[in-house]
Amino acid sequence: MKTIPPLCPEPETGPKYWRSLDQLADTPEFRQWVEREFPAGASEFADPVSRRHFVKIMSASFLLAGMGLVGCRRPEEKILPFGKAPEGYIHGMPQFFATAMPIRGSAIPLVARSNDGRPTKVEGNSLHSDSNGGTDRFAQASVLDLYDVDRAMRFTKRGDTVSREVALGFLNQLSREASPNGGQGLCFLLDRSSSSSRHRLQGLIAKKFPKARWFAYEPVDFDLHRQAATAAFGKPVRPHYHLDRARIILSLDSDFIGSEGDAYRLIRGFSKGRRIQKSEDSLNRLYAVESLMTLTGANADHRLRVPPSAVVQVAAQIGAEVLSQAGIGDAGEIRSALSRLGQAAGVKPEWVRECASDLLAHKGQSVVMAGYGQPLAVHLIAQAINTALGNVGKTVQLLNIDEPAAENIAELAKALNAGQVEALVVIGGNPAYNAPADLNWSQTQRKAKTVVRLGYYEDETFAASDWHLPLAHYLESWGDARTSDGTLVPVQPLIEPLFGGITELEVLARIGGLEKTSPYDVVRETFRAFVPAGDFEEAWKKFLHDGFLANSAAKPVDAEFDWGAAAKTIVAVTPSAAPSRDKLEVVFHRDSRVDDGRYNNNGWLQELPDPVTKIVWENVILLSKKTAGELGLVIVDRENNNLQVPLVRIAVDGRELEGPAWIQPGMADNVVALALGYGRVQTGRVGKGTGYDAYRVRSSSAPYIAVGAKLTSVGKLHQIATTQNHWAMEGRPIIREANLEQYRQHPNFAKGMNMHEPPGLKDAEGRPESLYPNPLDIPGRDGKSPREHAVHSWGMSIDLNACVGCSACMMACQSENNIPIVGKDQVSRNREMHWIRIDRYYTGSVEDPQVVNQPMLCQHCESAPCESVCPVNATVHDNEGLNVMAYNRCVGTRYCSNNCPYKVRRFNYFDYNRRPLELLNGPIYTSPLTHKVDGEWELARWWKNPDKGIRPDNEWELLKLVKNPDVTVRMRGVMEKCTFCLQRIEGAKIAQKVKAGPSGDIEVPDGTIKTACQQACPAEAIVFGNLKDPDSRVSQLKKQERDYTVLEFLLTKPRLTYLARVRNPNPAMPDYKERDGKPESFREWEKKGNTLGDLENPGAAHGGEKKGAH
Amino acid sequence: MAEAVTRLNLQAPPPELEREPLVGNQRSIGWISDRVAGIVEGKTPRWWWAAFIPSFLCMSMLGALLLYKITIGVGTWGNNHPVMWGWDIINFVWWIGIGHAGTLISAILFLLRQRWRTAVNRAAEAMTIFAVMCAGLYPLLHIGREWLGWWLLPIPNANGPIWPQFRSPLMWDVFAVSTYFTVSVLFWYVGLIPDLAVVRDRARTKIRKFLYGLFALGWTGSNRNWSNYEKAYLILAGLSTPLVLSVHSIVSLDFAVSQVPGWHTTIFPPYFVAGAIFSGFGMVLTLLIPLRSMCKLEDVITMRHIDLMCKVTLATGSIVGYAYIMELFIAWYSGSEYERYAFMNRVAGPYAWGYWIMMSCNVLVPQVFWFKKIRQNLIIVFIISILVNIGMWFERFVIIVISLHREFLPGNWGYFKPTWVDICTYIGTFGLFFTCFLLFMRFLPMIAVSEVKGVTPQGDPHHPMGGAKAGEHH
Repeated sequence: MKTIPPLCPEPETGPKYWRSLDQLADTPEFRQWVEREFPAGASEFADPVSRRHFVKIMSASFLLAGMGLVGCRRPEEKILPFGKAPEGYIHGMPQFFATAMPIRGSAIPLVARSNDGRPTKVEGNSLHSDSNGGTDRFAQASVLDLYDVDRAMRFTKRGDTVSREVALGFLNQLSREASPNGGQGLCFLLDRSSSSSRHRLQGLIAKKFPKARWFAYEPVDFDLHRQAATAAFGKPVRPHYHLDRARIILSLDSDFIGSEGDAYRLIRGFSKGRRIQKSEDSLNRLYAVESLMTLTGANADHRLRVPPSAVVQVAAQIGAEVLSQAGIGDAGEIRSALSRLGQAAGVKPEWVRECASDLLAHKGQSVVMAGYGQPLAVHLIAQAINTALGNVGKTVQLLNIDEPAAENIAELAKALNAGQVEALVVIGGNPAYNAPADLNWSQTQRKAKTVVRLGYYEDETFAASDWHLPLAHYLESWGDARTSDGTLVPVQPLIEPLFGGITELEVLARIGGLEKTSPYDVVRETFRAFVPAGDFEEAWKKFLHDGFLANSAAKPVDAEFDWGAAAKTIVAVTPSAAPSRDKLEVVFHRDSRVDDGRYNNNGWLQELPDPVTKIVWENVILLSKKTAGELGLVIVDRENNNLQVPLVRIAVDGRELEGPAWIQPGMADNVVALALGYGRVQTGRVGKGTGYDAYRVRSSSAPYIAVGAKLTSVGKLHQIATTQNHWAMEGRPIIREANLEQYRQHPNFAKGMNMHEPPGLKDAEGRPESLYPNPLDIPGRDGKSPREHAVHSWGMSIDLNACVGCSACMMACQSENNIPIVGKDQVSRNREMHWIRIDRYYTGSVEDPQVVNQPMLCQHCESAPCESVCPVNATVHDNEGLNVMAYNRCVGTRYCSNNCPYKVRRFNYFDYNRRPLELLNGPIYTSPLTHKVDGEWELARWWKNPDKGIRPDNEWELLKLVKNPDVTVRMRGVMEKCTFCLQRIEGAKIAQKVKAGPSGDIEVPDGTIKTACQQACPAEAIVFGNLKDPDSRVSQLKKQERDYTVLEFLLTKPRLTYLARVRNPNPAMPDYKERDGKPESFREWEKKGNTLGDLENPGAAHGGEKKGAH
Repeated sequence: MAEAVTRLNLQAPPPELEREPLVGNQRSIGWISDRVAGIVEGKTPRWWWAAFIPSFLCMSMLGALLLYKITIGVGTWGNNHPVMWGWDIINFVWWIGIGHAGTLISAILFLLRQRWRTAVNRAAEAMTIFAVMCAGLYPLLHIGREWLGWWLLPIPNANGPIWPQFRSPLMWDVFAVSTYFTVSVLFWYVGLIPDLAVVRDRARTKIRKFLYGLFALGWTGSNRNWSNYEKAYLILAGLSTPLVLSVHSIVSLDFAVSQVPGWHTTIFPPYFVAGAIFSGFGMVLTLLIPLRSMCKLEDVITMRHIDLMCKVTLATGSIVGYAYIMELFIAWYSGSEYERYAFMNRVAGPYAWGYWIMMSCNVLVPQVFWFKKIRQNLIIVFIISILVNIGMWFERFVIIVISLHREFLPGNWGYFKPTWVDICTYIGTFGLFFTCFLLFMRFLPMIAVSEVKGVTPQGDPHHPMGGAKAGEHH
């Protein structure tokens, strides 16, 4: 109500004062004028009722207007705020929890990020004593599995949905029924696990049901290493390799960089020996004996390609050489057994001799490793050499790890066939798909009276089970595990099971009839055994917080090599005949993307190019060029967006499969490689129709190497998709490498391979100047340019000597930056979206090529060619040196990509983020004018909710949860590319600003920001940081002599530079001389008429007159 | 009229110096009006329907395909990762190139007083406009988010105070093409005004009279009209002349400004202009050779016109051939591994067939025009004119696709194949072009009547047959 100043109360008595004549007159007009403070009409609303009315109407109209505003999206449903906020939770801020990903009897220690309660990214736990924070590609991609739209979401009995209570009640009933007869007929089929809790529960159940039987099955089983070491040393031990301590590494078909267990850890050790700072530093040396071209072979300094069955002969030759020279007294028997194996065909004796003498020259500093696919004898020879060289206890530690005894799957099949199995409990795995073909598992399993299965998918085994329980993802489960060094790590859930899944611990606890069956209680109970009772709660908290129990690593044990036992095993080996065109050798190997098939429905992994073949979305049958030629297969291998390869039939022991053939340079002749894990019959929308099933020809007698296979052409063609079509580097100095000797002679060799500089503008320091100076370099009023004003100047260095090409960075980037998958059809049109890719080139001959890898991502050029050509200013530079992309401003002319010499920009040709998964396989994306989703016309659906687009509801609701909320999800028609993880940079800058407060110290300390690729890299090949800080790691790396710029002559001045690769071949080896002491890529470059120029003044006048361009 | 003229006793030039008259058979002025306006006024010929219906269907297909592309995305085309521009930009440049001859004929030849242009300029200008329309579709629709195409215009938009990027050649394209289109339309329309008045004056129905009258802008044919008209025409010719050179130079800068080996070349602007004129004349020949016989215009578009156009084609074709050879030489002379490879890859790479089609159609084939006999053989000229257009299409294919598919890093070399949508969209633009062209020739005078009259002997006051000598007032 308007305040009207009260009229001065007139004194009753005394003189009257008047202010004006009007007041004196006191006319009604004057009285009214006094009442009215404001001009006419202005105080109409003085009336409280009508003003309130006005406000009412106004607010109502605002409300009505507000209904249509997009900004005001209040939920209509009743929502409840946190009565009491969870501790440490700030809305919108991610939280990090330590956990671990258990895998095959080991585990990867992790720190998982949770955004508002949903796990979105995992990273390695760098606090863990045996980790640098690196992970592998499987761990990075495992987040997507959590949100898999096809995972098992219900409890079923013979295919019908039942309630959780009924299903769990059945487990209790199972326990009760088994009690009276001591578990007679109760069988468990488990996968390998390092969980102490599971081992404890197994012990409890075994005590309660002594007659229960335990079986373990892994289609790719790394337990062989333990079995072999146990046989060799006569104690239950497992070898644990310290590659960082090794100077000489010999791999006997051991793909420790690619497909072996704990590869991320072995890569770290290996790369540590490859990262050098000066030319005087020494490098480790890797010898690889293998049949397939693996990542290990790709990184080897010397690679010997032999058929898989001949590895044992090569091993024996080297072993005999080493043992005879090392002078081990009690090895006489074994030596004769070794020499009896004879020589592998086509192997140069010098190779073996020099390799052996190199090993002998590095006693205690070398290591020999055998692969999981090789028979026991090879492992024994490897350990014999390690023992003879005194490596045991130094580079090879024997860890005492107690593994609960388990029988193998063939025994279980026998029991099933004999009708001895009442109840079979299958936990994890997928035996109906991946058990050896001769066991005919889907039928054999049915012979049990009742089959209970705990599985992540309703897959092939689901169909052969009576009860099916949904397995919880590890990010939903309580559990524990041991990492490869034996350290105890917790598996902590970040989220309630999305579909009510349960864990193996709960199943075992219920069957064991335990009182407390919650996995949390089980894990806590187990943990009590590891810590003193008094400290339990504190230790438990620390355990969960740190993500591991300190000092719980297994203690190395001393053990004597049992020469006699080893000799006995080796004597029993008969070398098989060399394979021929009609009797091919088959290698079954773990796939580098879908593993043994467990990640078959993971789109990120399906679209991850195989690190060696670069093929996506399926497996192929790999052959050497010579073998393909002899078999009359014509395989066109040039870039083509419709790559058609012949389908072939492989017959092994009367079993057959069909698959596409592909030439792999560096493969042993007369060997075919079949990758496991594809060709699933019952899988999800993503994995459907991908690849062929190699398990169909895999028998229990020859699980990894089968001989006598036949290959015939089917006469049909099959289309495959690869992300890299061209294999050769064409003599261009893109990846620069030299041998160690060369590097020592020419420490500046990398810069010496620069192209001669074009004549042109030079700045004061003689550096070529660009025609148009960057606006960020133009000084402002205060005489300082925007770049000089900036506190940071971001840059990256990638050490090509450390990078092994494992592709973990690609997965990390995909997970961090919401990169969509596009499907095989789109990849075949080169439209994959990866922001970082690994370019793989073969150099030298197709028989024995050298392989080089290069991670290629946005180079963040200081004078970026992409920026000046964008007509709408969508890609611009910031003053910290980042080439940033404004998606909202992009209209999609694609000119930037055409002008990018590194071709690292990716275009959303379709709305990949909103496409239903069923359309992944093409053939073409449907038109919204004609297509229906969930029974609704697509356009109508889009109109209602443009964000959701045309994804079916069930996909949409789940898949949106995996997105990182800090990164925009790009729509169709926009260009995207690496941002150097801008969201992480900004996050760190904000945190630093808050921390700095008034001190003004806003420079982010070195090492605070790790890009996703850097974080995931187990080799520490990628280093990101502030170039303004001369002491930062990245600045230091860029000062190295090996630092070079790709396509430096274009003067794009990238912020990302590479450290040239240095190979360390043994000058005494035969292939050293054949290659003239130079890497193949270097020789190809020289063949183009290039020579290392004036290295004192790199780049200048390099080849100048000869080229005649000045 | 002509019969009434009494010839003056002037010494005739010797026959070998006599130029072939620009209108054959000594046709009279009235005949020209009748014949040209007759096409507009007469019954619709059957062949017109036979050409129009398929053209219209193709144009409808273009509409449907563009809708399809807009609703799904650029991915419906064959464009891929290294080859981000495919048929979209090839066809854009190709159509723009075709659009060159019209303005060249109308403006430059006008300024150079090449009187033979009068018979062909109207149709050529119409061709230019329709070709530029087809061309303009592509850059507008090749972008990823078509509905935001207006962000390329320098107007305030939702992005705040952000202007388009004036350093980008695509930006220059927007200005160059839109200016060219506007000036070409104006030029064409101004030239049409007296002829529209002719049709108006001959009209028999009210609607025709009204409509043609409306567009004739009240033309009376007065001295004042003519005087203003000729000034305006001259000014527009002057304005168009630099545009002829600028449009394709700027289009060529889309490539030359980048650093793609095979694109980054200083020879591009003149070479593109020559190529554009080359292809434009090819297209004019392709259109006019059948038209002149269909519409019985042999006396207006005479063999001399054909002959002259063949000569221009030969000249520009040779310039283009020189440019091709020069490119190869410079690539070798640069000493740059990447440049050399880009050109080796054209000559002998996976797309070598494209390069050799281009070389033979653009460089070898036009060389036969050295022979007069061939220039006089309409069938051969027609076939060659089509080959020229094929060759010029492949020139753009060579420049765009072959350069992009193998660039600096072999790791991302790729291959390009068009999809059915690419192909049908291209066919659809022909539908648009021919639909427009057929409508034009049916409803507008396709020969500049007043100008052609001016180049007849009767129109020349100093000619023995000149109208003034007849003692008529004019």
